Amino acid sequence: MPDNTNNKRMFTIWQTAAAVIAGAQVEKTDEPVLDVLHLTKSFGTETILDDLSFRIESGEIFGLLGPNGAGKTTMIRIILDIIKSDHGSVKMFGKVFDERFKERIGYLPEERGLYQKITVFECLKYFANLKNVKKPDDRIDFWLERVGLIEYKKRRVSDLSKGMQQKIQLASAFIHDPDLLILDEPFSGLDPVNTKIVKDIMLDLKRDGKTIILSTHQMDQAERMCDRILMINHGEKVLYGTLDQIKAGYRKSPVMVVEYEGDLKPVDGVTGVEDYGRYAELGLEIGTDPQDVLKNLMESVKLRRFEMKSPSLNEIFIEVANVA
Amino acid sequence: MLRKTLVVAKHEFLATVKTKGFILTLILPLVILLPVIFTSGYVMQIATESPRNIGFVDETEILQPDGIFIRFEDIRGAENALLNDEINSFFTIPSDYLETGRVFLYGTGGFFSSAPTDLVEAFLIDNILRYSDVDETLGDRIRCPAEVEQITLNEKGEVEEKQEVLFLIPYAVAILMMLSIMTTSGYLMQGIVAEKENKTVEILLSSLSPEKLLTGKLIGFGSAGLLQICVWICLGMLVVSVTSLAAVFQEIQISLLMILAVPYFILGYLLFAGSMACVAAPASTMKDAQQGAMVFTMLGILPMMLLGVIIAAPDSVIARVLTYIPYTAPATTLMRITLTGIPVYEIAASLLILTISVIVVIKLSARIFRSAILMTGKKIRIRDIPGYLKR
Repeated sequence: MPDNTNNKRMFTIWQTAAAVIAGAQVEKTDEPVLDVLHLTKSFGTETILDDLSFRIESGEIFGLLGPNGAGKTTMIRIILDIIKSDHGSVKMFGKVFDERFKERIGYLPEERGLYQKITVFECLKYFANLKNVKKPDDRIDFWLERVGLIEYKKRRVSDLSKGMQQKIQLASAFIHDPDLLILDEPFSGLDPVNTKIVKDIMLDLKRDGKTIILSTHQMDQAERMCDRILMINHGEKVLYGTLDQIKAGYRKSPVMVVEYEGDLKPVDGVTGVEDYGRYAELGLEIGTDPQDVLKNLMESVKLRRFEMKSPSLNEIFIEVANVA
Repeated sequence: MLRKTLVVAKHEFLATVKTKGFILTLILPLVILLPVIFTSGYVMQIATESPRNIGFVDETEILQPDGIFIRFEDIRGAENALLNDEINSFFTIPSDYLETGRVFLYGTGGFFSSAPTDLVEAFLIDNILRYSDVDETLGDRIRCPAEVEQITLNEKGEVEEKQEVLFLIPYAVAILMMLSIMTTSGYLMQGIVAEKENKTVEILLSSLSPEKLLTGKLIGFGSAGLLQICVWICLGMLVVSVTSLAAVFQEIQISLLMILAVPYFILGYLLFAGSMACVAAPASTMKDAQQGAMVFTMLGILPMMLLGVIIAAPDSVIARVLTYIPYTAPATTLMRITLTGIPVYEIAASLLILTISVIVVIKLSARIFRSAILMTGKKIRIRDIPGYLKR
């Protein structure tokens, strides 16, 4: 009997611990973190967002792309309930948006700004208090340590460099342990070392189950980090899906990249050549067998390397933006 | 959710009261008034001490020693006493005094040792009256021929029992109140524009609604204004308690003025602050905001500019109209209050119009704030306001 009681007690403790651990994690549900339906917004006669719908799933890094003036910032502000949409709805965590959800969102706006005349600590504490952080001092220390600026805690914000201020602002977006992060150009103005720090933080947060909306013009970062992508232009959805889906759906003639020695001659089946002397990008006619092109090339030059190149997100971005 | 409004209010209050400008406005009256208080105290002390003994040399033999007035047989004796600091000063009455009235006053020339002519004249009048054997009642009238009491008639010819000096109190209260309202509203405007310029406003709006942010700012800056008023009142009371103004304050009905000053300050502040928020939210720079706020500033100081008209005719059409216009009501009503008996219905109507205006302005400012706070690079244009309200 005593053994049985102990087992029950252990089971209860295990259940409690499991519940605590589960509670510490982000609430995982089948509901999307964000469900945007038919969002429309106009300023005067100008339509900024035109019947835009998309979903963001829990735990993903979602790329929000688009050229300048596409409507990204307006959309983010509607999601945050800073401005109201003309039509459409935003559901967050499976529910109609409520101001209390703002405490579960971390936001880094594109236009950076901090109070210059107060200390880093005072500035972060004000933002933390607005997000209802229970032990703000501990969280401030944790994030200042994380971004490598703990020794600047008591310094005035105006004494910090632009890059440091950017990291302080990032810390302010993370300080309340949000479930959804909206980061508008988080790498802008950062050197490679700090870019890596921020990228690592974002990936850690993703591993912790946080959802991240990454709005950026740095296509290489978006291509490497994002699980799914939405590209808008003139307020309309022009690309939406995983990177593979987008690339698969993007019809363009294949490109062969070669590094060579010798004199490159015209080859059948090649529609255009970007020749750099020892490196060339060859645009192939649709239906051309790359093997045939390689055979013909080897008759005139010595090939050192070759590969078939799929279109980069940057190329897709430029083309889609120009077409639109 | 009220908690976030209070977080903003606390932040704005502390940020304001720590500024050099605010501290200066608190200290400046202290810097000006303290020397006045101490100087007046010192002067009074000297004044009470200075009329020590006064000597006289009388060749007419009319005068008799009395109290501080000491007789000397000759000038040499009086001079010695003066130089030995036994007397403060002395005067001589020549034998032809009754014909010529000439008197010679001697002193050492120090700042506070000038000959006390008033005392000497009073002493001479007393002695001449005694010498002339004039009736005592008549003597009193000669000593003090007129106890002046000023009587003011209103437009109906009715007597209004007012004393000129009392008029200063409501003017001072009205001017200080408007000064605090305009200063505090100005801080609010600066705060909004500064947060637009340093781009922090978008971060704040990701944590709370524009309406709550604006409410927090109104409470925070308003509290700073109240603190300012309280400090000034305390300073004023300090000055009054140690100077001769205390007697004046005992005579005036401070209570009504103070009771009305509270709602007029709160409503006036909300009206001006809401109006300033309307122009600050769409403004890109402080200069733009100040230009937009000029019209409200001018309305606020209009009662001071028309001070002469209000004093001359506190029940005139102009004064009454200003009592009903929300932007001029706080200062005008407080100034009229002791000049004339404002009917209760006028005060009630003024407060009602002011309250309704505050509600409308706060609602308008909240809508303009929400739609215009994140706009940059645009000049404030009146024709854009309907657009802000629609968004």
